[in-house]
Amino acid sequence: MGGYVGRYLDVDLARGAISELAWPEELRRMYLGGSGLAARLFFERGSWSADPLGPDNDLYVLTGPLSGTLVPGSSRFAIAARSPLTGIWGEGSCGGNFAPALKRAGFDGVVFHGIAPAPVMLVVDSGRAELRDATALWGVDNYDLIGRVHDLLGGAKKPSLLSIGPAGENLVRFANVCNNKHDFVGRTGMGAVMGSKRLKAVVCRGDGEIPIADPEDYKALCKDLVAKVKASVPAQSLKEMGTDSAMDLGMMLGDIPIRNWRRGEDYELSGRLGGPTMSETFLKRGAACYACPVACRRVVEVPDGPYRTEVGPGPEFETCCSFGTMLDQPDLAGVIRANELCNRYGMDTISCGCTIAWAYDCVAEGILSADDMDGIVLEFGSVDGAIALLPKIARRDGVGDLLAEGSREAARRVGKGAQELTAEIKGLEVPMHDPRGSHGMALSYMTAYRGACHKAHVVEAIEHGFTVFEGVGLEENYVGPSSAGKGKMVVIGENLGLPLNSLALCEFLMWCYQFDDLARAIRTVTGWADFSVEEYLRTGERLWLLKRCLNNLMGVTRGDDRLPKKALTPLEDGAVAGIVPDQELLLSEYYAERGLDDGGRPRIEVLERAGLADVARTLFGAK
Amino acid sequence: MAHKFPSDEWVAAFGDEINASEEYRIAGKPWTHGVTALVVNADPSIGLAEPYGIWLDLDQGVCRNARYCDVDEAQTAPFCIFGDYARWKQVIHKELEPVKGMMQGKLKLKGNLQIIVRNVKAAQALVNCSTRVPTAFIDE
Repeated sequence: MGGYVGRYLDVDLARGAISELAWPEELRRMYLGGSGLAARLFFERGSWSADPLGPDNDLYVLTGPLSGTLVPGSSRFAIAARSPLTGIWGEGSCGGNFAPALKRAGFDGVVFHGIAPAPVMLVVDSGRAELRDATALWGVDNYDLIGRVHDLLGGAKKPSLLSIGPAGENLVRFANVCNNKHDFVGRTGMGAVMGSKRLKAVVCRGDGEIPIADPEDYKALCKDLVAKVKASVPAQSLKEMGTDSAMDLGMMLGDIPIRNWRRGEDYELSGRLGGPTMSETFLKRGAACYACPVACRRVVEVPDGPYRTEVGPGPEFETCCSFGTMLDQPDLAGVIRANELCNRYGMDTISCGCTIAWAYDCVAEGILSADDMDGIVLEFGSVDGAIALLPKIARRDGVGDLLAEGSREAARRVGKGAQELTAEIKGLEVPMHDPRGSHGMALSYMTAYRGACHKAHVVEAIEHGFTVFEGVGLEENYVGPSSAGKGKMVVIGENLGLPLNSLALCEFLMWCYQFDDLARAIRTVTGWADFSVEEYLRTGERLWLLKRCLNNLMGVTRGDDRLPKKALTPLEDGAVAGIVPDQELLLSEYYAERGLDDGGRPRIEVLERAGLADVARTLFGAK
Repeated sequence: MAHKFPSDEWVAAFGDEINASEEYRIAGKPWTHGVTALVVNADPSIGLAEPYGIWLDLDQGVCRNARYCDVDEAQTAPFCIFGDYARWKQVIHKELEPVKGMMQGKLKLKGNLQIIVRNVKAAQALVNCSTRVPTAFIDE
C-alpha cells in the first residue's frame, strides 16, 4: 500500500519509553489518517473522560496518506486531543514542512501519553526516535527556539520543528503549536496539551521515501493538478494577495466582523487591512508550504514606527480581522506586530484576538474598567491595548490569567452581562466570517465538531462561491444570507471537508480542482483502485459521525448547537443589515439530513450504516 | 422602452445609468485605472454571431464614454472581462456576482486582479446600474 510509511510511534512521556504501533490497512482506509484516525484511536482508548490537561489525554500527531507527496497541498498533518479550551474533541492542522519531514524520518505519526517529569523534546532522525531533555529550552519563544534546536542537534540537514511557546507552557487554553515559525496548528488549544505534558518540541529529519502505489500515474497526476491550480483564479488571488484577499470581497458579502460583531460595513477599514494593501506596503515576498504551487503565505516587515516588526510571517485573513476589524482599528502594521507576538508566544490569533475584542467591548459597556485590565487602556480604534495584553496572557500575568481561559470562561467569571458580549460556540470563539452574512456558515458553526469552526468543512467555498464543486450533489449557487435549504448543503460541505484533515490536504487547493481529481490522487498514491468520490463522501460522513459521538460522550447535546446572541442580533448597516439566521430552521433541516435524534445524537441505524456499530453500542449503552 | 441586450442602445443607456448613480459616483471615486471592457462571447444559437464588446471609460466615479467595441479593441483595455451571454444575463439579474464569477471561472479576467478585488464596491455599483437599464434579452 502506498502513501503510508507504515510505522507509528507511541511515546510514554512519564516513563520515557518509546515503542511502535501498527494499525491494519482496513482502519486506515476507513479513517484515512490525520484527525480521522486520531478520533478512532481516541474512541478505542476511551479517552473521553480524560482531564484535557491531565496525563490520560493522549495527544495525536498524525499525517495522512497524501502528506509529504507531491500532490499539491499535501504538506499538512493534524494534531488532536481533548481540548482544554472547549472540553470536547479538539484538533487542528497546518501546512509547512513537518508532515513530509516526519514521514521521511520514517514514521506516519506519533501518539503521546502521560506527563514527562521534566521538559523534553522528541527527536526523530532517520528512523530512530529518542526523548531529550529540554529544560534549557523551556521559556524560549517559537522564533528563537529554531536556532537553539538547530545548534543542539547539529548536522547539515536542518530538521523540521514542531514546538510550543511560553503560552503552551503556561497552559493558556488557546495555545497553539508552531511548525518552523511560519505555520500553526491554531485552534482548540493543542499547545496547552503539549505544555501539560512538558513536551516542548518534536524535531524530525530524514531522507526516507514515501511509497507511491502507481508511480507512473503519479507523475501525470501531479502534472495535471499543478496545471489546474495554476489556471485557477482563486489560486492567483491567494498567490497575489494571500488569504487576506478575502477581506474586500468579504465586506461586500457581509462576511467581515467589525467592532466585536457590532458593525456591518466599513470599506475604508477593509481597504486598509486587506490583501492588496498588504501586498503594496509590508510584503517582502510570498512563501509556499511544501509541494504547493500557490504560495499564499506572506513574509512581511514593518521597518520602523511603533509596530516595528522584523522580516517574518505575516498575518492571515483571520488575524487581520481578529486584531483589525474586530477592534475597529485600521492599522495593518499593528496587526502585523500583534501577529508576531502571538506567533512567538504560541497563541491562536482567532481565539486570542476575539477574547481581547470581548474585553474591549466589556470596557466600552462599563462591565470592566481600566483597573480590571491592570491599567491597560482598551479602546476600539486602537490596537495598542491588545498588544500590551499579549505578553500578560502568554504568561498568565494579572488580568492575562483571566483572558488566558478564553472568552467563554472569562465571561462566566466576570458575569454582569459579559457573556452576552462573547461570540463562541461550545467554547470556541467564532472565526472571522459573520454568520449573519452566510447562514450555511452559521449552521456549520453550530454543528462543527470542534465548536465554531470554518475549517471543519468546505462551506465557505460553497456559499461564498469561490468555486463550484461538481458531481457531489450541490446546487450551483447559494445565497449567503438565506437559511432555507442550507441543511443539505452543510451536510455535504462537511462530508467533503472532513477527509481533508485526515488525508491531510490543504482546503485552498480544493478551490482549484475537483473531488474526482482528489479521488484519483488517493487511488494513485495508496493503490486503493476502487476508491471513488462516493467512498470519499461516505468516509466524510463516518468521520463526522464518529467525532459527533465522541462529543456526545463528552456531554454535547442539541442544546449546545446554538448561535451566540451576537449572531442573532441584526446589524444596522451593511450588506446584510436586518437579516439574521433562522436558527431553528437551519437545525431542523440539518438534523433530518444528518439523522440526529432530538438529543443531538446520531441515530443507531445511521451509525451502523456508516460502519460505526461499536460506537453506537458505546454511546447508547453509556446512557 | 426596453433595450436589446447586447446592443449599442443598451450600452448607451448603461452609461447614462452609471452617470446618474450616486452609489457609483461614490464607490467609483477611487477608480483611476482606466477602461474596463466587457465582452459577451459569440453565441450563434441566439443570433450573436460575433463577440460583442462594451467599452467603459471609467474614471473617478464617472463614465466618460460607453460604447460598442470589437473584441480586438476590447483586449487593449487595461481590464477586459469575458463571459458567455448566459453569464452576463445572470450578472444583470444579480444572480452572479462578477468577482465571484471570476473566482469560479465563469467570467475570465484579463488585467490586475488585485485592483479588481480592491474595487468590489464599485463593481457592485456597476451591476446595480446594469440592473436598472430596461432590458430585452435577445434569447427571450
